[in-house]
Amino acid sequence: MYRKFLRLTKSLTVSFEKLVNFLTTQEHNPLYFHGALPLYTFWFLIFSGILLWMYYIPTLDRAWSSVNYISALPTPGDPVNLAAGIPYGAVVRGIHRWGAAAMMIVTLLHMFRVYFTDRHRAWRWLPWVTGVGLLVFVLFVGLSGYLLVWDARAYYIVVATQHLFDGVPVIGSALSTFLVGGEGITDYTLTRFLFFHVGGAVFIFFLVWMHFIRLKEPVVTPSRATNFLLLGFILLAAGTLPAINITHELLAKYGHDPRIAAQAAYIASDAPAQIGTLVETIRYDAWYMFPYWLVQNVGTTWTWLILGGSTVLLCVAPFYPKDRRANIAEVIEAKCTGCTFCSLDCPFEAITMVDRAPGSKFKQIAVVQAARCSECGICVGACPFQAIELPELHSKTLEADLLALVKKGA
Amino acid sequence: MSEPKRTIIGFVCERSLPVERMLDEHKALLDDPETRFVVVPCSGMVKPTLMEAALANGADATFVCGCAIGDCHYRTGNLMIRERLEGKRNPKLRKTTDRRKVGMFFVTMKDRVAFLEALAAFKAGLDAKPVLED
Repeated sequence: MYRKFLRLTKSLTVSFEKLVNFLTTQEHNPLYFHGALPLYTFWFLIFSGILLWMYYIPTLDRAWSSVNYISALPTPGDPVNLAAGIPYGAVVRGIHRWGAAAMMIVTLLHMFRVYFTDRHRAWRWLPWVTGVGLLVFVLFVGLSGYLLVWDARAYYIVVATQHLFDGVPVIGSALSTFLVGGEGITDYTLTRFLFFHVGGAVFIFFLVWMHFIRLKEPVVTPSRATNFLLLGFILLAAGTLPAINITHELLAKYGHDPRIAAQAAYIASDAPAQIGTLVETIRYDAWYMFPYWLVQNVGTTWTWLILGGSTVLLCVAPFYPKDRRANIAEVIEAKCTGCTFCSLDCPFEAITMVDRAPGSKFKQIAVVQAARCSECGICVGACPFQAIELPELHSKTLEADLLALVKKGA
Repeated sequence: MSEPKRTIIGFVCERSLPVERMLDEHKALLDDPETRFVVVPCSGMVKPTLMEAALANGADATFVCGCAIGDCHYRTGNLMIRERLEGKRNPKLRKTTDRRKVGMFFVTMKDRVAFLEALAAFKAGLDAKPVLED
């Protein structure tokens, strides 16, 4: 039943991609670069984030105003020209903001594409499980970015998170204290949030390394056409709707302006946070704030169950259903010259070269790590000496089949 | 249906085409009995020497068919065989092999018709080419 489901999802995915191929050709189909898209998008976030960091002040009384200073539009005559801010600061912040949305979208696209084409199981368990970790950290880093603005919504999120932690037995209150860096919210809280945001981003690089560790030459950049397309989308979005801070006064004054209204609805920050004054509801960013929507709509316990349960399910997904693994590549010791071709071509880093005993005819021998072998036979195609074989599809059998077919056709 | 005139051997990745619906019991293509398939788990498993052996033993042409470029189930198999046949990766196709008789197709499971069209074009190309003396 589950295998049938996976076959169906694969069939539907391939059908959809065939349509995209029709528009883009195989070489430039963005869906064939689904793994490279998140990393490419991450670079936008890193570079725009560094620029924003240069002006950000992580204290309770300056955080909001420093963000406001960065993103005040300096164009003369612009209704949001609150101060002579950083030139194009709102656009840079817009790139960070829209890039963050793009990051979650392409990460989910990557995850679903891998899952729907059944490329998450068995020997691929490590990339998949580290991918789940990456998804969690993308969510964490994105969410911590919302706290740095320190507007009314950020304060709401902090209170809601503490409420969520309070629902955790034994360590709940310690988690709550850890979140804000003490018993109450102080300047240290904002410093801590900045650490969560930047440190989390650095940790993402570590997870990416783990994600790639069993992949030979991972695709880390999309095709040039896809690069320009994504860059264009983000710049267009950031230029059309740059990220700014919007206060009630600004809304009252310029709320009739459709651009300001759109910014208020989607990408603006709220008025500065007032500790002790909690807004009744917040605008939820669908990509990062769904846990808080869950808290408000289904309660703390169900939120933990849904988030925890889905994470556990994702983590165990590569281990079910189990396939019969009878065709793991085998090295024929007497024939292996240690040429390294199979090791260089194995797409999953399943073949390592080890030294032979002193005095042997050849210096090295290939060794297959069974758990990593995908049974694809690429190593067989790479070996000029017929020194590595798939037990159930031996080269000699293949040659005999070939000769029989040629004979039949003659 | 007329008797096959030529023998074309295709090394076909089992994930690139719906092979089980395309072949008869003799592994000949239902739509083109001149073409017979050797089915492999991945196009990257095909050695150029196998294709050379097909030609040396009487096949009129040979080709490899893998997943769409960028979509190999095993990540790089289609790129590997493409580079081997183009002489960019070891083991390479021998320089003495008549490359006009060696084809490459990279398709998705849903590209059966496109594959048959490309195969027909490949065969038409064979007809148009002068026969090399051995």
